[in-house]
Amino acid sequence: MIALVRTEFTKAARRMRTLVIVVLLVGLPSLIVFAINEHHGRPERGGDQTDGLFRLATQSGLLVPAAVLVAMSGFLLVVIAGTFAGDSVAGDAGWGNLRYLLMRPVARGRLLIAKAFVAGVMIWAATILVALAGLVAGVLLFGSHAVVVPTTTFVDSGRVFGGFGLRTLTQTMLIERTVLATAYVAFGYTALLALGTLFSTFTDSAAGAIGATIGVYIVSEILDAITALGRVRYGFPTHYANAWTTMFTANHFSREMLIGVIVQAIYFVVAGGAALVVFRRKDIRS
Amino acid sequence: MTEPVVAVDALSKHFGGVGAVEDLTFRVERGQVYGLLGPNGAGKTTTLRVLMGLERPSSGETRLFGTPVTPGCRELTRVGAMVEQAAFVPHLSGMLNLKLWWEAGGARMRDADLDGALAIAGLGDAIHRRVKTYSQGMKQRLGFARLLLARPELLVLDEPTNGLDPAEIREIRELIGRVSTQGATVLLSSHHLSEVEQVCSHVIVMNNGRLVADGTVHDLVGTAGSNYIEVDDRERARAVLAALPIVASVQAQGDGLVVELRDGQRSDLAAALVAAGLRVETLMATQRLEDAFLDLLATPSAAAPAGGAA
Repeated sequence: MIALVRTEFTKAARRMRTLVIVVLLVGLPSLIVFAINEHHGRPERGGDQTDGLFRLATQSGLLVPAAVLVAMSGFLLVVIAGTFAGDSVAGDAGWGNLRYLLMRPVARGRLLIAKAFVAGVMIWAATILVALAGLVAGVLLFGSHAVVVPTTTFVDSGRVFGGFGLRTLTQTMLIERTVLATAYVAFGYTALLALGTLFSTFTDSAAGAIGATIGVYIVSEILDAITALGRVRYGFPTHYANAWTTMFTANHFSREMLIGVIVQAIYFVVAGGAALVVFRRKDIRS
Repeated sequence: MTEPVVAVDALSKHFGGVGAVEDLTFRVERGQVYGLLGPNGAGKTTTLRVLMGLERPSSGETRLFGTPVTPGCRELTRVGAMVEQAAFVPHLSGMLNLKLWWEAGGARMRDADLDGALAIAGLGDAIHRRVKTYSQGMKQRLGFARLLLARPELLVLDEPTNGLDPAEIREIRELIGRVSTQGATVLLSSHHLSEVEQVCSHVIVMNNGRLVADGTVHDLVGTAGSNYIEVDDRERARAVLAALPIVASVQAQGDGLVVELRDGQRSDLAAALVAAGLRVETLMATQRLEDAFLDLLATPSAAAPAGGAA
């Protein structure tokens, strides 16, 4: 299994596309940091928790990774995660190489697990790279100070938390929370990974599988914005995507983060299991 | 009794109610070089895909070395296969493609016949170039190198010379000959009839998913025999041959005679001529595999389509 993972990783890592993604993931956070710096002290009217993060980010470079994750996790990282997941099986099928792997022979279940694992590693690596690039650019521009954040009263999962006041987040606390936030954001693509792998088993067109994967995520975001859908929204893979931001903006670890992890795990088991069943039974026509 | 290397029993494969292969049965014994002939859509590639565990049969069974074929079964490690065109990861070099493919199977590179495979590929320094820069011929040669890494006991080749120029086709043909003389069994699908005639000892003819003929190339070509004969005394030979019950007609052509057989073998003609004291200088079939193949496809049973709505 290790050898199989190594071969799949080599294939993914040596693509020009991967190099372009790395450049984007390093370059864009730096651009965002400069944009934050440009708008320093001039926040737009209105806004939500995530806007608060951008305002706070100018106080300490240690908050920049969180701001950058907010900026990039809703679309660019989704595209990248969808690309790695959707391409996992369909990429090889499109090249015609899948049949040669299966005739080697490589057991279908092992191959699918190796491909999904490598796609998952790439997604985690992409998310970590975004946070690291933001951290480096942020610390260079804004320094690495502790920050004072407001604590507010708000409702989380039906319960009332907090109170009005101020709280200092030390450098250590900021780093710990950044690590946790990065892990949460990366884990938030687990449903996408499983769905993308499933779609990838349906088709020999990597573009089709990638498009379907990203499409599902976008549809989920759109539907999640329709509050009239009520509790149904709680099952969408994107519903809890930003639950982590209150760690920075309100000094609060939301219970929704835990629920978000559970929702992602359920998608992983269901869609991942379906991908295994489909791939094992499928006639390979590519 | 040893198991056949390939055994296909009552194999049927349907796609959405359309029959691609229907009730196909054949055997390939150790050391044979078997040609799988048929026009496009005859079911050759589907048969090979089922044999390699890429597709599941709708009914029937395929066995390799006596073991039923399932996706990823261990017997596939004894087979070197090229189904349709050779395909690789395009952004990796030829060498890295060979290495990754080999190691994906859980084996170490030092256990592969890399030197032999590279000699066959004959790609020189190009083996270190990315595959997307290769011509089709180079890819096919690299494909042969890949399937020979494991020193396979059975080669399964589906249209291996498609897209190649005449020199490359000849190379591939010689390669198949070399591998088979080293003891490997070969199952070769092709619609290049001359290729099959030159390379194969046995042939299976398929049409519309069904078996039309199965036997030696010699039998297939010889059964509907049209023969050309040159002897030292043409007129006497004509009289001798015309008197034989196995001969349907004798006609003069050039310096020789064209003899149509009703039944019997070409060797019967030679025996009769020699017994009559004639010296036989040339005796050859005027019918080639192509003629036999087209005759077979023209028969009503061969032209009937495989079971439609299954």
